[in-house]
Amino acid sequence: MTSPSASSRKVLSKIATNRLQKELMEWQVNPPAGFKHKVTDNLQRWVIEVNGAPGTLYANETFQLQVDFPEHYPMEAPQVIFVPPAPLHPHIYSNGHICLDILYDSWSPAMTVSSVCISILSMLSSSTSKQRPADDERYVKNCRNGRSPKETRWWFHDDKV
Amino acid sequence: MDSEDDMHDANDVESVDDDFYSGETAMESDDGDAADYEFIDNDSDEDDDPVSHRSQNYTILNEADIHLRQEDNIKKISSILSISSDEAAILLRHYNWSVSKVNDEWFANEEKVRRIVGLLEESRALPRGKELTCGICFEVYTCDKMSSAACGHPFCVTCWQGYISTAINDGPGCLMLRCPDPSCGAAIGQDMIIKLVSHDDREKYERYFLRSFVEDNRKTKWCPAPGCDYAVDFIVGGGTFDVTCRCSYSFCWNCTEEAHRPVDCDTVSKWIRKNSAESENMNWILANSKPCPKCKRPIEKNQGCMHITCTPPCKFEFCWLCLGAWSDHGERTGGFYACNRYEAAKQEGVYDDTEKRREMAKNSLERYTHFYERWATNQSSRQKALADLQQMQNIHLEKLSDKQCQPESQLKFITEAWLQIVECRRVLKWTYAYGYYLPAHEHAKRQLFEYLQGEAESGLERLHQCAEKELYSYLNVDGPSKDFNEFRMKLAGLTSVTRNYFENLVRALENGLSDVDARGGTSRTGGSRGLGAGSSKNSRNKGAAPPAARSRNIDDSGHWSCEYCTFANVRSANVCQMCQHRR
Repeated sequence: MTSPSASSRKVLSKIATNRLQKELMEWQVNPPAGFKHKVTDNLQRWVIEVNGAPGTLYANETFQLQVDFPEHYPMEAPQVIFVPPAPLHPHIYSNGHICLDILYDSWSPAMTVSSVCISILSMLSSSTSKQRPADDERYVKNCRNGRSPKETRWWFHDDKV
Repeated sequence: MDSEDDMHDANDVESVDDDFYSGETAMESDDGDAADYEFIDNDSDEDDDPVSHRSQNYTILNEADIHLRQEDNIKKISSILSISSDEAAILLRHYNWSVSKVNDEWFANEEKVRRIVGLLEESRALPRGKELTCGICFEVYTCDKMSSAACGHPFCVTCWQGYISTAINDGPGCLMLRCPDPSCGAAIGQDMIIKLVSHDDREKYERYFLRSFVEDNRKTKWCPAPGCDYAVDFIVGGGTFDVTCRCSYSFCWNCTEEAHRPVDCDTVSKWIRKNSAESENMNWILANSKPCPKCKRPIEKNQGCMHITCTPPCKFEFCWLCLGAWSDHGERTGGFYACNRYEAAKQEGVYDDTEKRREMAKNSLERYTHFYERWATNQSSRQKALADLQQMQNIHLEKLSDKQCQPESQLKFITEAWLQIVECRRVLKWTYAYGYYLPAHEHAKRQLFEYLQGEAESGLERLHQCAEKELYSYLNVDGPSKDFNEFRMKLAGLTSVTRNYFENLVRALENGLSDVDARGGTSRTGGSRGLGAGSSKNSRNKGAAPPAARSRNIDDSGHWSCEYCTFANVRSANVCQMCQHRR
């Protein structure tokens, strides 16, 4: 599942590398509940396993998140997508793109991979129906050729789900 | 003297001027006159700005003015609400630079406003402790390397710089910057930003800040002329939307298209869309082409016989008339230049619908082309006239002043004539958009419109001729011409007649040519004479401006400029030395 935009990305800056190393260390000491970082030697791409929280629609389901970091992380947001098959959710497209404001417009450098993971899990847990976004087919079609979700102009409809 | 006819026209105006006084009582009750007086009142303000013909309900601002106003507003809010100017700027920016809106909201619910905008009641210092962890890079620093907004969330200076610089390079959103802590939301003031960023970023930021004052403010807009840096502050209500920027570009404040009276904004936008539209291309294709019966690509047949071969790779050979395969054609179908199958089928009515559509599209296209061509021609004539005006001001006036032994101050009538030509071309141009949208079934209006437009064209032509050709005969002589003052009177007269005619034309079109409806009734101006009558009457009014308005024409040196021929007379004279016109 290599997207071209990720492979052609510039290498991490010094600041980004330092910060990611610190995040990784903190993760190892204190991982967010329900997540497991799959160890690789690639600091620029993290693959994270998500377990659906017990008592929610996604209990006993496992998904994979792929997090790609830009050169100027954390000033710029990471690119976070589900590796298909993505969870059936009104804000998650079948190609794995996630409609969540903190991943785009509302990103702040004071956020971390860990805090993003917790937000995504809370988004999953609060879902009341397993379905795709209404415009899934159209959106996914437009995203062929490996377009990054960060190039999408997102409308954040509601924060309830 | 070039043409006796023209001279007669100019003199004619002069002589009726004198008649006016005797006719005044008879005119008094005419509503139209009141409006005319109003116009003349404003007219005399023209001295400093000859392009605009109306009282100004707008102000042109340069960059320094914008700064000043912005500072002013910030100071006002800062003193009324007793907050720092930094905070006042944040508030104003949030409420689109409306001082009254900030006041209203603040005094209605200060707490709520503070929460929304991110202004804390009290600023908090950095947490105690010798060493602090930066919330972005997670490195540990001593306090002096840390900084925070009013909320006290500590970040190191490097991260602050990265944060702010990223925001500035992301666009005008940097004007609404908040603390990076996701749970916070405290606004970040200008002071902190300017203290931390590089010189380049600071310039960008200040640019956005200035632009915001113009672009987010409902009362101001940039002049849309390319390369123009002026902004226009407009007072809505009353008067027209026409604005003339200091760069001399005239535009409509409402729609920011170029000035377009007598046509309204909707019509202009329709017309512009039409001019650029694919729809016209589609119409053309519909009217002049047929799709290849095999590959469906549109084919234009511009000449030749009915045997069409589609371009490769299709290469289908077919008959243009019946769209059938050419292999079915030949002697049997009536030869190569006619198609019996087509004729027969047409008689049966098979082609009627498509043919009719094609025919209609073609007609409508021709109609559009008629108006568009004339619209565009007037546009380019206007550009040409503008260039001529420039040349006149830069080169010819000096030469003329030299040749004719006239101070340049006495040659204002020439500039005025050219400004009038430029304005007339603009009006005339838009009358073609007006004409295009004038409903075809309104025959009386169409007739009147065409008549008025025709008169306008020929009136302008006369003025143009005089200001261009005749002027040159005074430019290319060895010494002063005896009849130069006659020329002055003629050109000034033509300018004023033409101005009045076009003023009336604009008004008539803006009123939707309502004269037509009154025609059969008690119209006193004699509807059948149309604007032609109005124009000569108004030129009389022009000469008879109320004394109050006229006295304003006195300039600093105590000279008064003649209403009629623009000659600058000494203060003591009561009659113009040049044209004998009464002061």
